[in-house]
Parts: sequence; C-alpha cells; structure tokens
Amino acid sequence: MAPREKSQPHSKPFKLRKSLATRKQEVAGIRAKFPNKVPVIIERYDKEKYLPPLDKTKFLVPHELTMTQFVTIIRNRMALLPSQAFYLLINNSGLASMSLTMAQVYKEHQDEDGFLYMTYASQEMFGR
Amino acid sequence: MDTPSELPERYRVERKQLYLPSDSFFFFAATLTYDTLRFVEFEDFPETSEPVWILGKEYNALTEKDEILSDVTSRLWFTYRKNFPPIGGTGPTSDTGWGCMLRCGQMILGEALVCRHLGRDWRWAKGQKQRDEYISLLNAFIDKKDSYYSIHQIAQMGVGEGKPIGQWYGPNTVAQVLKKLAVFDTWSKVVVHVAMDNTVVIEEIKRLCMPWLDACGELEGVGELNGCLEGACAMAEEETALWRPLVLLIPLRLGLSDINDAYIETLKQCFMLPQSLGVIGGKPNSAHYFIGYVGEELIYLDPHTTQPAVEPSEDSQVPDETYHCQHPPCRMHICELDPSIAAGFFCRTEDEFDDWCMRIRRLSCNRGTLPMFELVDSQPSHMVSVDTLNLTPDFSDSDRLERFFDSEDEEFEILSL
Repeated sequence: MAPREKSQPHSKPFKLRKSLATRKQEVAGIRAKFPNKVPVIIERYDKEKYLPPLDKTKFLVPHELTMTQFVTIIRNRMALLPSQAFYLLINNSGLASMSLTMAQVYKEHQDEDGFLYMTYASQEMFGR
Repeated sequence: MDTPSELPERYRVERKQLYLPSDSFFFFAATLTYDTLRFVEFEDFPETSEPVWILGKEYNALTEKDEILSDVTSRLWFTYRKNFPPIGGTGPTSDTGWGCMLRCGQMILGEALVCRHLGRDWRWAKGQKQRDEYISLLNAFIDKKDSYYSIHQIAQMGVGEGKPIGQWYGPNTVAQVLKKLAVFDTWSKVVVHVAMDNTVVIEEIKRLCMPWLDACGELEGVGELNGCLEGACAMAEEETALWRPLVLLIPLRLGLSDINDAYIETLKQCFMLPQSLGVIGGKPNSAHYFIGYVGEELIYLDPHTTQPAVEPSEDSQVPDETYHCQHPPCRMHICELDPSIAAGFFCRTEDEFDDWCMRIRRLSCNRGTLPMFELVDSQPSHMVSVDTLNLTPDFSDSDRLERFFDSEDEEFEILSL
C-alpha cells in the first residue's frame, strides 16, 4: 500500500477549500458508490481550546446509525471522559437530537452541495 | 483570550436611579458599608405590564414589585470573597478574578437546597431569627475547607476534572464537581445528576433517585413498581426513602459564538417551570446566575463583587446579610448570553419529576422553536455496547475507495454497522 500522507488540520473550513461544483461532484460520486451511507463533514469550532482536532474531516456514515452512536464514536476517537462536555452543532447553529438517525438528520439538514456539515465544540470557561 | 470582550458589568443604562427606596424597611435593610456603596447605583426594576418570571413564579411588575424584590433577596447570593483561609493550606485566599463560575455553581445548588430544606416560598428577612435548617444551609457554603460546598471544596474537587486551583470553570465543570461533592452531603441526601450530550434519560434518573428498586429486582419499564414502593415505604417514614430529591443539571451549548435565536423561547420557558433552578452561564468570560426573565431581558444575580469572608460566629446565628442581594437584580438582553450554559431543575418527589417530564414533552411540541435538550425514556441499548459493535473503519471499503478517489487530497473515513 502506498504511504499515506498524514492529514493535517486545515486552516480553512472544508467548504471554503473547494468550489461548490467540485463538492457536488464529489458527493455524486460517493453516493453512487455507497448509496447506504451519507457523506458528513465534521470540523472543530475554530475557537475550540479543549477538544483535540480529528485527523479526518470526511465521514461516510450508515443511514441507520443514530446520533447517539455517532457521537459515541467521535467521543471515543478523542478519548474523552463521559463527564467532558462535547456538542455537535449542525450547520453551525443547532444541537442535533440524539435519537434521530443519520438519514433523518441528513434529510433535514443537508447542504446544497449534498454534504451534511457538523461542528464540534465543548463549553466556554468563565472567570472574570 | 479569543473573545477579549471587555464587557463591563452592565450597570450602565440610561435610566439609572439611586436605589434608596422610600419603604423604610428596605431603607434600613440596605447595608451601607463601603463595599455595597460602590454598587448603590442600580437600575430600578422596570415598570412594565409584561410578566416577570422568577424561578417558576410569575409576578406583575406594576403591582408586585415588593414581592419580586423579596423573592430575589431571599435567594442565596454568593460572590467573590477575600481573606478566607488559604485553599489547600497554601493556595489563594481570594477568588476574585477566577471564581465567578464556582460561585454561580454555589448559587444554583444553594437554590436547590433552599427548596429542599426551606421550600421555594421561604422568604428571608434581615435580622429575623434564623431557623436551624437555614443555619446549616449557610454553613454548607461558608468559605472554609470543611464545608460541603465551600469554594475550597469546589476548587479542590475540580483538580480531578483537569482544572488546577484558580483556573476558570465552565458550566459543565462546576456541575460535575457539585455532583461529586453532593455524595458527601449526608444532611441533604440529594442526587445531583448531570445530563450529558443534551439528553435526559428518564430511566437513568429513576435508578439514581430510587436506588433500592434495583435491589428489589429488575427495573424494567418503570411502571410496575408498586410492590417495591410499598417495601420502600416500610423502610423509613422519611420522604427521601421513596425518592431522593433530584437536582438535575443540563449543560448545553446553544450555538457557537452566539446563542441561536431558535432557543430563546425555550430558554425563557425554562424559567416558567415550577421545578426551575434557573441557569448558570454568563456573558463571554463573566459568569452569572440567571434566575428569570422579563420581556427580552434575563434577570440575574452577579457574583462580581468582592466581599470580605464571613467569620463563622461563636453563637449559632450566622452573619448573613452579605449572602442576600439587597439591591434590584441585574438585567441583560437575552441575546448577550454566551451559548455555554447549564439549566437546573429540582424535583423533590417522583411526582414532581413526572410532572417535569410531562411539561418538557409539551414544550417540545411547540413549532418554530428548538428544544434545548431531548427527553428519552431509556438509553438505547446499543449505546451502552457501542464499542462492541463493528463501528471501526471498514478497511475493505476504504481500499475500494482509495482506488476510486486515487487523486483526492482527503479520503473519507467509512463507518459501518
């Protein structure tokens, strides 16, 4: 197997790195190949200070996976304790309902390019 | 800091008034020490026909101003303090500049313990003879190392949450610490539950508040428990033998940099529930304890006043005036709220918890608003064993994918069930 380049955290969000046409094309290709999975972009909030970066941005997730399961996978990936705060915001705005399946979330919140965008963040700290 | 917002304490506002109420009782109640004199200028409570909600109680600002102020003054007000015994023997003797979220944690738990030991309708009056429960309550928070919920205990317990003494806390940090400390409070016997991942699981809470049910047999479908409950009744006469009073804290993030407008109505509704303990959160960097709202403004108690630590007195009465906020409460526009918060609720009995669940379900049906958290009956079984499922990357798929996207800069990670 050819040596893989370890992907670095990107400075620009995925959406700004590629044109709409390129992203659409990418989704069309991957959907044709994997019709039972939804393409998800998951990125760290740019002001996040406590959660580590993920080494992947793009995920293909089974339709029937629930948000709870998806969050558990990401939490495990970052080796977070159950007591650590972790929130996934869909389209940078609302918290996803944990009992929904990926297919349901995708149906409601997919972007015009066909990806589902999520941002993760913990909580802010207060002291002054 | 990423958000170097220098938002000063919001004591600006055009309609500033010198708060020296004509009511003679309140005039004499105002403690005109140097410390409080600095803050004598507070905006008076607004004259508005809009309802005022304080921790589940509705008031009319035009006709019930005294009742509103009396309710606010009766809440426990924890602020920065100076000259307390050093934390950990050699640590800080003041929490000015770092302890505001710890103080807000004390206030929300303090409110829960007021409900637990004195009742929501209990009112404070300056100089009144203090009830035993009230004295015990204040002693649980006084700034010394062995009080159940002192700044010393909270700061030291936070070390286990990855927060060295003197570091800033978030709402979840202080909630996690209070949960640990409550275990040692054999006087209050409350269960502090912190609901993670914006999800409240009913079954989990019933197990925590009625731990003997597990001993009685399986806790299957929380409905058919009558036999067990009768057994529990016989065990002790106390109410807590049936249900350990629940302090439910729900840490949330209602947006990234600003609160998402879709949460504003749901947030207001939190203060209308009879079980409400309010919300801890703040403006960026500065923590506040939110106890209610009027119109588009949140009403809060502010810990950002440094008062001298109170010496526990020899006679049993505690000098308590500095533990009650005797000026009209601060207010701020709801849009100024930092999205990181924790909402709190207190359910003294199982009936109160069932009533809370019913009310939350009713709220979730409202159109045009987003629920801040989800209420579910039980934890889906697959969540518990998610590690045992094959949710690791599917390598056969990714090999195929690599060929497919040979020239792509980034690969997909494929998750399979």
